[in-house]
Amino acid sequence: MVREKAFSAQNSQNRANREGLKGWLNPTRYGWERLSYWLMRLTGLFLLVYFVGHVYETSNLVGGVNAWNSMLELTQTTWGHIFLILVIGTSTFHSINGIRLIFAETARGLGKPGRPDYPYEAVSLNNIQRSGIWVALILAAAAMLYGSSVLFGGE
Amino acid sequence: MTRNTQNAKREFLRESTVMKIHYVTGLAALFTVAVHVMMRLIMPFSMSLEYENVVANYQNILYALLLESILVLISIHGFNGLRVMLLELRQGKIWEKFVILSTLAAMLVVIGYGTRTIIIVNGLNL
Repeated sequence: MVREKAFSAQNSQNRANREGLKGWLNPTRYGWERLSYWLMRLTGLFLLVYFVGHVYETSNLVGGVNAWNSMLELTQTTWGHIFLILVIGTSTFHSINGIRLIFAETARGLGKPGRPDYPYEAVSLNNIQRSGIWVALILAAAAMLYGSSVLFGGE
Repeated sequence: MTRNTQNAKREFLRESTVMKIHYVTGLAALFTVAVHVMMRLIMPFSMSLEYENVVANYQNILYALLLESILVLISIHGFNGLRVMLLELRQGKIWEKFVILSTLAAMLVVIGYGTRTIIIVNGLNL
């Protein structure tokens, strides 16, 4: 009975701590890792929507050559190409940052735990981890440039 | 302690196992998608999208298997990612059940629909 009451009190406190979407969008307190957190989720959602659309788009093959060509006419436009370049950039960022997160999850590159001294900088959020975010952003930009040259360069 | 052990036994998949699946499917998808993209770049991009070329790709059994792998891997990875995001936003038994069942259903629909395209274009006509 006492234990149930304690659980109930804990639950109400947890409920009060819920920030929902507001907490998700809060840009303060977390530094560059917050940017990576946002981008990972935003690119993931974008890629999932693209993936479902791509599965639907390619199902036009079943309708024969005319259905396929009329679908291609919709996508082979300037805006269609810009959309594809965004897909290239987001998928590159999501992949590289995902590999960084796998390293973090398996405690690689996190540094050794130490005594928390002023100014209380967490050793886990070190430059090795942060450089992963920058590498992901730089490679995404490079992939988008290459994608632009293929899509708009008429190769 | 006994109660906790029993509850753990009742769980179908532990969250840590689900996350391992998430990472493995992500890494595997990265390699399979790389091959898929390279197949579009071994010739001029617009030519690679011509109907005859795409159908020929689908009718190659190895390529069809690659497409099916991409379909399954990204569906599992993507819809599990969506599940994680939705559970971050809100918690609760009913919400969790709703999120798990809907993402699982959406995943199966996408896999089913994509597999249908691969089977029909491959010429198996099942």
